[in-house]
Amino acid sequence: MKGLTFQLKSVLRDKFCLMTFLLPILIAVALNFMGSIDMSSLGKLHFGVLEHDLSPQAVTWLERYGPVDIYGIEDELNAAIHEPSTNVIGVEADGDSLKTTIAGDELDIFQQAAATLPVLYERRAEAEQAEILTLERPDVLESVQDIFIPAVLIVAMFMGCTFNAMNMISEKEDGVALVNEILPMTPSQYVLQKIVVGFLFGSLSSVVTACICFQLPGQNFGILLTLIVLSSFVAALIGLLIGRLSEGLMIGMAYIKIIMLLFIAVPLVYALIGISGPIAAICNIVPSQPAFEGIMALSAGNMSTAAKDAGILAIHCIAWFALYVLTFTRRKRRPYR
Amino acid sequence: MGNGFYTLFKKDCRMLASGKFFLMAIGFLVLYTAYVNLGYIRFMQMPPYNVYLYDPAGTQAAKSSLVQTVTSMEAMDAALLADANGVGLDASAGDVQVVLYAGAEHIDRHRADYALSLLRPSASRTPAVIGVNTPEQKARKEITCELLFFEMAAVGFLGIAAVLFKEKNMGVLRVHAVLPLQKNWFLLSKLAVFLFSDLAFAALLTLLNVGPSNGMAVLPAVLLQTAVLSLIMALMGLLCALLLKDFRQFTLAYLVITIFAATPVFLSANTSVKFDWIGWHPFYHVYMGLKNAYFCISVSPVYYAGSAAAIVLLFLVVQYAFCREIGKEV
Repeated sequence: MKGLTFQLKSVLRDKFCLMTFLLPILIAVALNFMGSIDMSSLGKLHFGVLEHDLSPQAVTWLERYGPVDIYGIEDELNAAIHEPSTNVIGVEADGDSLKTTIAGDELDIFQQAAATLPVLYERRAEAEQAEILTLERPDVLESVQDIFIPAVLIVAMFMGCTFNAMNMISEKEDGVALVNEILPMTPSQYVLQKIVVGFLFGSLSSVVTACICFQLPGQNFGILLTLIVLSSFVAALIGLLIGRLSEGLMIGMAYIKIIMLLFIAVPLVYALIGISGPIAAICNIVPSQPAFEGIMALSAGNMSTAAKDAGILAIHCIAWFALYVLTFTRRKRRPYR
Repeated sequence: MGNGFYTLFKKDCRMLASGKFFLMAIGFLVLYTAYVNLGYIRFMQMPPYNVYLYDPAGTQAAKSSLVQTVTSMEAMDAALLADANGVGLDASAGDVQVVLYAGAEHIDRHRADYALSLLRPSASRTPAVIGVNTPEQKARKEITCELLFFEMAAVGFLGIAAVLFKEKNMGVLRVHAVLPLQKNWFLLSKLAVFLFSDLAFAALLTLLNVGPSNGMAVLPAVLLQTAVLSLIMALMGLLCALLLKDFRQFTLAYLVITIFAATPVFLSANTSVKFDWIGWHPFYHVYMGLKNAYFCISVSPVYYAGSAAAIVLLFLVVQYAFCREIGKEV
């Protein structure tokens, strides 16, 4: 217990460490203050037309499918079509029909849309009569607008990992790790102290972030809390593993780099592109993925998915702990290595 | 005079080699190249919507070959459930009814109209193509640019800081305070080492992932932008290493850079999500400079002037911090 007090003291004295944990909270406040970020333009069709070229009716028709930007001169339109980050389809009048222009580097889906647009325009009268039955999509987010809040929450939770790893690496560099070896402290006490710091601060800052971002009813908040606690614990454990495994600053950096790439990239790619099938199951190996999915499911009101993700995280906790104990006991046998 | 600089440069190279810095760079190069060639390129494909038709009476004889026929409504439901972007057409009741899972409103309309148009196909008109890149080339250039930026801005910075921090802890600065060498050389030799290793990394990453012929065409512009980014990041790493007292504190610097520098820039520069305030974000301009180099779009001279000014300013700040640090040691 005394050791733990020292650990906490050393963190609390360090202004930068405190700021690290406050950072996600600050971002959450900023996001709340700024309002949600409009992500609705992802995956949409965008059209670019020249001023005074298409009839107003044709522009109204195009707006049924997606936003239409009007450009003054052809060069501006061509530059917009060229722009690699968007998929603008240039539309020009061609007698009674339309003519489309693309950059040629768009995904198939946009190329096909550009190729069929003139036909759709010619048959616009028939299309309006067709009967459309829309089904509610299961398990899919209503919008990707709020993707940022879970992303910040993930960063907050997995910050414990970075912090623990950095803490242990710097202790190794300073020689404190060697002093620890001869202190009258059992290995389990050491693990407990190290985990608690990252875990406590990581989960505290995530809980505050969650309180600011989500206004959830009581029961949902319970599941959210479970998700946060479990993933913070996994993160703190992974941080501990990195700290123990890395021999020097550079190697530690490499581990942290890989872990961070995986933690942030996997859930973001999953949410933005939408993966299904066996790859989705493989994604669950990265602990931030079930955490992210669970929080997204909670905000969409899908309790069963959130509970499933909490289960996956619990398995993660056990698996990582087992992994740590295995490497740890292996080391214990050879204390003077 | 030059000899002293050369000695310092050689010492820095040796230090990086012994810290496995070069080995790590090669490791990441292999990792990124494998990711681009084996994963990303296959991953970034979006085929047109699948259209499923249930037509027990065979009323839709003229349908396009893109339409897939299903034998029952259950089969169609199963197909749509597995492929939520697909569109079902139910022709069993005479008039064709469109069945689809709700997505974004505009896209739903387009999917429905597109599916109906396939029932009576007419020669689709090939759109005019004004660009030079194929979808694969675009994907390769985009991901290479992202990886290069990410490697240098978000994580490379940390490597630089780690190396310098170690040197600071070893007391190298103390030694420098009494060495008969120009103080600037210490900083310049560090910058030079990181600049050369970043340039080599950028060149290899570009040639391996964009392809030899396309890569060679964009290489000079890419290297220029890499140099700008590398100098800025190395100077920031130096500054952090000089100012921060404990290595733990790098967690903050690292988080700030990944959250504030990398994420909004990626969203704004790579997707159609555009923020109004992104023009004020310094890293956005650096990233766009790099991206424009890959896509052969000219970069405005204001950007070069701005980045040169930023580098000079950062250098002066680092020089001041360095002199202060040495002053402490004497």
